[in-house]
Amino acid sequence: MMKKIFVACGSGVATSQTVASKIGTMCEDEGLDVSVEAVDIKSLESIIDQCDIYVSIVSSGANNWDIPTISGIPFLTGMGMEEEFEKLKQFIAQ
Amino acid sequence: MSQSLLHDELVLLDCSAKDSEELLTKLAAILKEQGYVKDSYTQAIIDREKVFPTGLNTPGAKVVMPHTDPVHVNEAAILVAKLSQPVLFKEMGNSGKSVEANLVFMLAVTDPKGHLATLSKLMSIFSNGEKLLGVYNSKTKTELIQQLDEILV
Repeated sequence: MMKKIFVACGSGVATSQTVASKIGTMCEDEGLDVSVEAVDIKSLESIIDQCDIYVSIVSSGANNWDIPTISGIPFLTGMGMEEEFEKLKQFIAQ
Repeated sequence: MSQSLLHDELVLLDCSAKDSEELLTKLAAILKEQGYVKDSYTQAIIDREKVFPTGLNTPGAKVVMPHTDPVHVNEAAILVAKLSQPVLFKEMGNSGKSVEANLVFMLAVTDPKGHLATLSKLMSIFSNGEKLLGVYNSKTKTELIQQLDEILV
């Protein structure tokens, strides 16, 4: 089944869009069946039940969802990106 | 599209400020003077940076990319400022760490989806220390814009 990945940042303006597009491309390259969407943190709460994996770009207080979560920052800086992507792939495989 | 986002008058080669708030105020004022953003932009940028910091522990030059909601923006643009002395910003995400920023990309975004390609390309250099240093070491505005244009095209 297709996994739904949500990327959330403060306003859904710049960061989450970029990270979502990066993750989308990386998943596509690996032939993974996912949908990746960028949202703002305020709307996340109302759609969190549709979310399989959450990519977080905001501070810890907003991260208390009971779903698999990875950090989106490595996909911006490249620092630790492979590790974070491995984590994501494991969540997708679950 | 990238051509229209980078402008001579929005490039600062030798910028200094005592702290992040002073810096953000200064840079936002330039965008405001040129009519790219509304009066509300400055406060919105400062407030947003407090709640959702945008410092990045990038290789080469450390980057900060303050931005805020499209409602405060008239026309999309990217302001680029080289800092003569690093200015302390909080790191994006939940690390709680600080970043000594050398390079500021202040974004005025009107249509996130429409500018996605440009923003993605801009952020693609955040993982490339060599390119970031290249931008940071630019001696003239033209050189800096050229370097970025190569990436954003």
